[in-house]
Amino acid sequence: MYADLLHALPDVFALTNFAAVIIGVVAGIVVGAMPGLSATMAISVLVPFTFGLEPLVALGLMAGIYNGAMYGGAIPAVLLRIPGTPAAVATTFDGYPMAQKGEGGFALQVAVVSSAFGGIASAFALMLLAPPLSRVTLLFGPSEVFWVAVFGLASIIFLLGGNPVKGLISACFGVFVSVIGSDPIYGNDRFTFGQLEMLDGINIVILLVGLYALPPVIDLLETPLKTDGINSSKLGTESIWKALPRMNYWKTWLRGSFIGIWIGILPGAGGSMAAFMSYNEARRTSKHPETWGEGEPEGVAAAEVANNADTASALIPALTLGIPGTAVAAVMLGGLLVHGLQPGPMLFRDNPDIVFGFMWQFLFGAILLVLLGGSLATNSFARLLNLPRPLLGSVIIVLMLIGVYSIHGRMFDVYLMLGFGAIGWVMDRLKFPLPPVVLGLILGGFAEENLRLALRIGRGDPMILFQNTTSLILVALTIAVIVGPTLKKRYIDSRKSA
Amino acid sequence: MLNIFKKVAIAGAMTLAAGAALAEYPEKPIEVIVGYSAGGGTDVMARTAAPFIEKYLGEGASIVVKNMPGASGQIGVTEAANADPDGYTLGTFNLPGMMARTIDREADYDRDSFTYLANVVNDPNVIVTSKNSGLDTLDKLIAEAKENPFAVTVGMSSLGGDDHFALIKLQNATETEFTIVPFKGSAPARTALLGGHVAMGILNISEVAEFRDQLNVLGVATKERSPFAPDLPTFQEQGLDLVNGSMRGFIAPAGLPEDVQAKLLNAFSQLSSDQEFLDAMAATANPVEVVTGDDFKQLTSDLYDLAKGVWETTPWN
Repeated sequence: MYADLLHALPDVFALTNFAAVIIGVVAGIVVGAMPGLSATMAISVLVPFTFGLEPLVALGLMAGIYNGAMYGGAIPAVLLRIPGTPAAVATTFDGYPMAQKGEGGFALQVAVVSSAFGGIASAFALMLLAPPLSRVTLLFGPSEVFWVAVFGLASIIFLLGGNPVKGLISACFGVFVSVIGSDPIYGNDRFTFGQLEMLDGINIVILLVGLYALPPVIDLLETPLKTDGINSSKLGTESIWKALPRMNYWKTWLRGSFIGIWIGILPGAGGSMAAFMSYNEARRTSKHPETWGEGEPEGVAAAEVANNADTASALIPALTLGIPGTAVAAVMLGGLLVHGLQPGPMLFRDNPDIVFGFMWQFLFGAILLVLLGGSLATNSFARLLNLPRPLLGSVIIVLMLIGVYSIHGRMFDVYLMLGFGAIGWVMDRLKFPLPPVVLGLILGGFAEENLRLALRIGRGDPMILFQNTTSLILVALTIAVIVGPTLKKRYIDSRKSA
Repeated sequence: MLNIFKKVAIAGAMTLAAGAALAEYPEKPIEVIVGYSAGGGTDVMARTAAPFIEKYLGEGASIVVKNMPGASGQIGVTEAANADPDGYTLGTFNLPGMMARTIDREADYDRDSFTYLANVVNDPNVIVTSKNSGLDTLDKLIAEAKENPFAVTVGMSSLGGDDHFALIKLQNATETEFTIVPFKGSAPARTALLGGHVAMGILNISEVAEFRDQLNVLGVATKERSPFAPDLPTFQEQGLDLVNGSMRGFIAPAGLPEDVQAKLLNAFSQLSSDQEFLDAMAATANPVEVVTGDDFKQLTSDLYDLAKGVWETTPWN
């Protein structure tokens, strides 16, 4: 297998194949940076065009876009508190406060280096450990996946800090949105009001753009005369090589990569859950957790390393089992099918040069991110804040509308997005946290579908949910997440009073 | 003078002739609406077939594939059914799904809404069991199901699809009862089988071709053995009358002009003898079975009757 890996390398460096990766990374960063455009969409637009391309050119473009977009999403997250992709939600926590303090340039540099680190770690996992890791995926049947989803939801509600009751209400709203559409088992319509457009449920990008992009835009337009000039003049556009030594986040990077790779191989959860878990863990083990949420660069590092670390690893179940770990991996799977690459154990034997070449392209895509992203980020995107606020706000609105319209090419989605925007604005004003809504939508559907599948397998007996070690470990983790903070607080209080 | 008139007249006549030639179908690009996103099985079929259809329609024909995903293909097929019947809008068509949707929910089309061009792919069902189930022959599986009704869990993709109808046929033929576990698509069902979370699965042969070492494949639901796995016995060989599969093809709206319909049918019917096309389809794991025109219409009608019958006795939602 390792011989195959080396054998595939020369082809990767063929001019067109390598150029494809470079173009992909740049396109990915741009797409990721636009609110409403996501890697999933960019790749699904690309897939039809790849019919006439050589496989490695097509796959190189996809690998580049995937890596680029996962970082690109951080750019508006840091500068405007608008996550460009669902996975960049956690990047807003510390990235935006950093930009407010005039450290936007450094925040972007931390993001790009962390993204590259996560991407490289993930590519290595894909290259070296795909077969053993795919066996881990097999351990996760419906009841285990149900518990993963519950664990993810519990973490986001109870660990994110702030008010758990408000967090719970937000998460419930997200779960409610996940219920819209046809029921996962019987296909009955739920809350669709007879609209064919709603049968497939609410696309996550529509919700994300509405909730996250509209309120900041309204803010921008509410106070048109206030300028961000003070911040942008101190963007800190020193070269990335000078900034590099200041980034001493090895522990966070390694932990975040591990979490990201792990979440990536589980079906469904994807980059946003990875970023939240990594952020939570990094904060929990930090020596000064009180600075988190107020512009702690390590928070940006934790979120960005994890959301890139699930990119290549999400392809492990996709390539070996045909089940994509994330929505992007699902679209990429389509791109592979177009070129006659059938997922499965034979794939590595039948088409080693293409499969391993694709893995190399992931690695180089991640490395190129530092070079391309590093210069793009600080020198062009960060200057965005110099724009007059009314102009910036209107440009973002246009991008939002185009992005959402282009998902399915219909106005219905645009109205839906504006509706979510109104809800998001109210929630923002009432200080309801928005991340649980996003995760509620992503994980709620998973939890429901897998719970119902598990119960069918158990023929209605709920004990099926507690029947094996993997499930029990996940149950224990969930309980720890829920009662942990309370116990810790009690312990600290009792020490104080003693 | 006369000479000039002559020239003009000749030029005019030539232009008219050229105009007449242009007016012959197809004089502009033909759109094929695919009800699924790019890269799916139906999309790959449409895009693989497109250049061959262009070739057989003759000089200058061009086909544009347009993806309109959503509602399990219903949005796309509705669009195709209600398009102008001028031959410039075609659509892909999936069986039994497109007919089942007219039964289990409200649809803006029925079986008379289409001009049936050609079914191209027939992906037969297979019954597989997980390695740890111990049910490695069809006889063992049926014996177990008879002994313990509902004890065997069956992973498959959604209810009201070809997998589901295959199971109903199996249940009726053997007087057994299974517990259905409908996953969202075949790949998750197959993964659950690989992990041993369900005992049995009903999939399509293209979906298990790569996994034959990891699963017990008990048989294929065709009349003759499939070229995809020539060593795999059919169910009929094993004494079980079970023929079923997932079909994908092309339709146009009902009421096409006759000459257009004839031209399209002629182009589609040539697919089955084009070795280059057959090779391209085999490379994307699509078992080809071309059925054109009235035969395709009959096939659709039969499947509708089957689905309707199933729905009346055991509705799935």
